[in-house]
Amino acid sequence: MTSTYDRLVGLLAKSFGIEADEVAPANTFEDLELDSLALVELTLAAQEEFGITLTDDDLHAKSSLTEAAEVLDAKQVTV
Amino acid sequence: MTAADGRFDAAVTGIGMVTPAGLGTAASWDRIKSADGTAAQRVPALAGIPADIGCWISDFDPAAAVGKRKAWRLDRSSQLAVAAAAEALADAGLDPASWDGARVGVVLGSGIGGASAWEKQHHVLLEQGSEKVSAMLIPMLAVNMSAGYIAMEFGARGPNFVTATACASGTTAVGAARELLRGGRCDVVITGGTEACLIPSIISGFQQMGALSGRRDDPTVASRPFDVDRDGFVPAEGAAVLVLERPESARARGARIRANISGYGASADAYNATAPEPQGTGAELALRAALDDARAEPSAVDHVNAHGTSTPLNDLMEARLIRRVLGDRPTVTSVKGVTGHSLGASGAIEVAVAALTVEHRLIPPTANLDSQDPEIDLDVVAKAARPADVEVAVSNSFGFGGQNAVVLLTRP
Repeated sequence: MTSTYDRLVGLLAKSFGIEADEVAPANTFEDLELDSLALVELTLAAQEEFGITLTDDDLHAKSSLTEAAEVLDAKQVTV
Repeated sequence: MTAADGRFDAAVTGIGMVTPAGLGTAASWDRIKSADGTAAQRVPALAGIPADIGCWISDFDPAAAVGKRKAWRLDRSSQLAVAAAAEALADAGLDPASWDGARVGVVLGSGIGGASAWEKQHHVLLEQGSEKVSAMLIPMLAVNMSAGYIAMEFGARGPNFVTATACASGTTAVGAARELLRGGRCDVVITGGTEACLIPSIISGFQQMGALSGRRDDPTVASRPFDVDRDGFVPAEGAAVLVLERPESARARGARIRANISGYGASADAYNATAPEPQGTGAELALRAALDDARAEPSAVDHVNAHGTSTPLNDLMEARLIRRVLGDRPTVTSVKGVTGHSLGASGAIEVAVAALTVEHRLIPPTANLDSQDPEIDLDVVAKAARPADVEVAVSNSFGFGGQNAVVLLTRP
């Protein structure tokens, strides 16, 4: 797993009360009961954590954590 | 049940409390009845402002109370309310999984709402810009959300609202909740009050009004209702929730009835935004309305759980009111000597304590009452709890805006 994935999992624990041992790479945000407002919050938190700019569409309810980590990686490359 | 004399009783079958006096009803009652000082301390969130003491519930764990996956979504005022509601429902022996949720209402009182979220996000707005403001701001800020979250948590799908009458909000809520039972709209109403606004902007506002005690170096003696040396209130947070039912349905399911809510009255001073009308003539309308509603004579009142904020103006006005309307027979106490003043939650905490007073036949003393103000000619219980068969009690609350609410309780 990438360190981006681990940092994403860390964000879920810190900001949303979802512990690392409760998630798997294939889980979607929907699986983790993160609704649309929670995804806005996660987008804000991820921008802060990774120093990147995300649009509202970058993290989806149906994104798996693996897919989300790939999106975050791609954004970091372009910065 | 409509009593033979036309009185309507709402049975208190469950009580939940999260207060500076303790987590849970038992812990809160124990400290309130021991009255060994104000549960006040320096509040970290208030560091740097002159009025930095308050009755802060430092051991409240939101994750334990509402679940860690939910805690971040709720403002502290909603967290406290949900925790108190869970205790009250368990105390009542009601199982939300099996009730008809459409017949369950929620009426809470709150004076301010999610002010801490607002203050925090205002900093974000000024320092980082609009696009960084939290999407959770509105559901954290809005004053109605504590009742909304109780509905979501327990599946209560009946009428659901929050009353705002400043420091009378919790008392107003109890009165409105009883009407939902009297009118037949609900079979169960979850009611009470919550407040959590120990934040710099709000407390600075109270400080600038001159409403707060200046005893920041000795917080445990700062709240001293009816004492000659009282100098203002001590701000607090907290929540109390009561479960109300019609007595016949409570009895039919074998529930224990701690006390009945048998009367309610409300009024406005129409006088001043923040100062009480000095003779209490506005508050008197509420007290007399509660007596009339309960078909009770003033001479029947055994005990008054006073608003008793520890401000010079309130306590004198309230003492004059009690003496004039109820005479010198009732015992009087103010729990704010222990709990401080939790604003919109205070009325609910005090109705809960009045119910416990009726149930346990014990009047908690007013903390820090060392030298009763000679202008206050009342039997204020001080120093030690006093056993008493309280058959009829009233709980007074008076809010800014001149909004007054009085609940009358009777022994079942």
